[in-house]
Amino acid sequence: MVNPASAAYVMWYRQVKRFIRTRSRLVGAILQPIFWMIFLGLGFTSALKGAPVFGGIDYLTFFTPGVVVMAVFFTAFFSGISVIWDREFGFLKEILVAPASRTATIAGRILGDVTISMLQGVIVLTIAFLMVPNLRLLGVPLVLVAVFFTALQFTGLGIALASKLKSFEGFQLVNMLIAMPIFFLSGAFYPVNALPAPASIIAYLNPLVYGVDLSRTALTGAGFLPLTSAFAALAASSLFLLVVAVWGFKKATAE
Amino acid sequence: MPDIVVAEALTKTFGTLRAVDEVSFTVRRGEIFGFLGPNGAGKTTTINLLTTLMKPTSGRGMVAGFDVQREPQKVRERIGVLFQDLTLDRELTGWENLWIHGLIYGVPRGILKNRIRELLAFVELEDWAGSQVKKYSGGMQRRLQIAAALLHRPEILFLDEPTLGLDPQTRAHIWDYILSLQRNEKVTVFLTTHYMDEAERLCHRTAIIDHGRIIALGSPEELKRALGSEVVYVQLASKSLQETGRMAESLKACGEFSRVHVVRPGEISVSASRAPEAIPKIFEKAEDLTVKIREVTYHMPTLEDVFLHLTGRKLRDEEVSGMEAVRIRHRWR
Repeated sequence: MVNPASAAYVMWYRQVKRFIRTRSRLVGAILQPIFWMIFLGLGFTSALKGAPVFGGIDYLTFFTPGVVVMAVFFTAFFSGISVIWDREFGFLKEILVAPASRTATIAGRILGDVTISMLQGVIVLTIAFLMVPNLRLLGVPLVLVAVFFTALQFTGLGIALASKLKSFEGFQLVNMLIAMPIFFLSGAFYPVNALPAPASIIAYLNPLVYGVDLSRTALTGAGFLPLTSAFAALAASSLFLLVVAVWGFKKATAE
Repeated sequence: MPDIVVAEALTKTFGTLRAVDEVSFTVRRGEIFGFLGPNGAGKTTTINLLTTLMKPTSGRGMVAGFDVQREPQKVRERIGVLFQDLTLDRELTGWENLWIHGLIYGVPRGILKNRIRELLAFVELEDWAGSQVKKYSGGMQRRLQIAAALLHRPEILFLDEPTLGLDPQTRAHIWDYILSLQRNEKVTVFLTTHYMDEAERLCHRTAIIDHGRIIALGSPEELKRALGSEVVYVQLASKSLQETGRMAESLKACGEFSRVHVVRPGEISVSASRAPEAIPKIFEKAEDLTVKIREVTYHMPTLEDVFLHLTGRKLRDEEVSGMEAVRIRHRWR
């Protein structure tokens, strides 16, 4: 019998090692949010001075909590979906013929991806506090909760999709049809509750919206959902996507 | 002791293609058993079935006493697999890869470090343990994979084309590992290859597989003996198919040769118990037909001849298609 804890640990170890090993990912992890905040955040701050839709705060302050959560979203989603690369480069076979239980290996992998996504979130959050003066320090623990669930659910979504996709040609499609809409409709750029009906309904189905809103409430007080509903939605969608991911991975085959 | 692998009418179909077609064989404990056949013959699919990566369409496979379909977990605990493609994490070091492999294959953490050291020494990669696998050469990657496959002391090791795409020295090196494994560690080895020299050199018994079916099974010596003791190649001066056919017919008709085969226009192979006596007879026949012979050579039969005899084709190892070559290069970059 393979010890499930050992199997889970070693998959966590692999994900974290890989992240640390690839320097370009770390550099990108730091630079990208800075660019967002400077080019988009500061730009719109002066262009939209005094606009009432941002809950009475300037655009950069409104936008920054979204930047933190979006960074976590991208890291988590693309780590999860990197199961496709493991399939393409053969490593997946190694896992699939291993006697360790698939639930244990995938749980370890998810935890690894959550760890690196949260690491990313913490880095961006630190940068945010250095660049944006009006954020509430007391909101940090709640942001970490939002970051944790965001990481969990999008790792889950990535793995679930990757278990279904047979080639990385499908990857571009997933990026266009899933990642981009989630990203633009996340509420990070503009308040989605102000959108006309069909778009706002779609936004409510977007699991990223809740992480962004929870973080915004925590850091600026300008979220539109009550804390408890945002939290409940996050927890529920995380649980759902996790179950789908584990189920999908258990059925995955090597070819 | 019962056989370690038992395949009974094992079948795998993909749509209308019968990739593995009612294949039955057994592998004895402690032997090196080879699956020899051209590309696309169903060798890798057979390995995928026996290592639980695919479910058989019908038939039954038993490995180390367990049914591959009903108790895959039990089978996985007892086997080691070397896949054709690199299955290690290229971004991680050799040591890290073995550490990961050991833990997901259930090697207790307390003894894993020692085991890794032992195996790195066995495949002579101690000095490279701390380097990323992407910096390894193809042969080194293959050796590291062999080490990984052995970490959990499997009862049986499946090797899918263990020397595909490697240079001759590295191939010989890998052969030495496989032989010493079988001799010193008493591991049963099941390997697939489309190199006949590999099968002859390594295997105690070989199954020749073509189009998903086993067409011959036995030790390389038995297989070759079935052909007669020597093979004579006759090259005609003309490449005319008609003339080659007439010559072959006449050789068949004289009843002295166990087997006459047209390899290609202008080239005939003949099996004879004693080549030096057969050659004058071949010249006599040629003279009768006024066919000119350019060259006659003879040699002890090889598995290549066996394959040619059974299928009428060469073991097309030189005919790796363009796409395949690209794929192999891509994988072993």
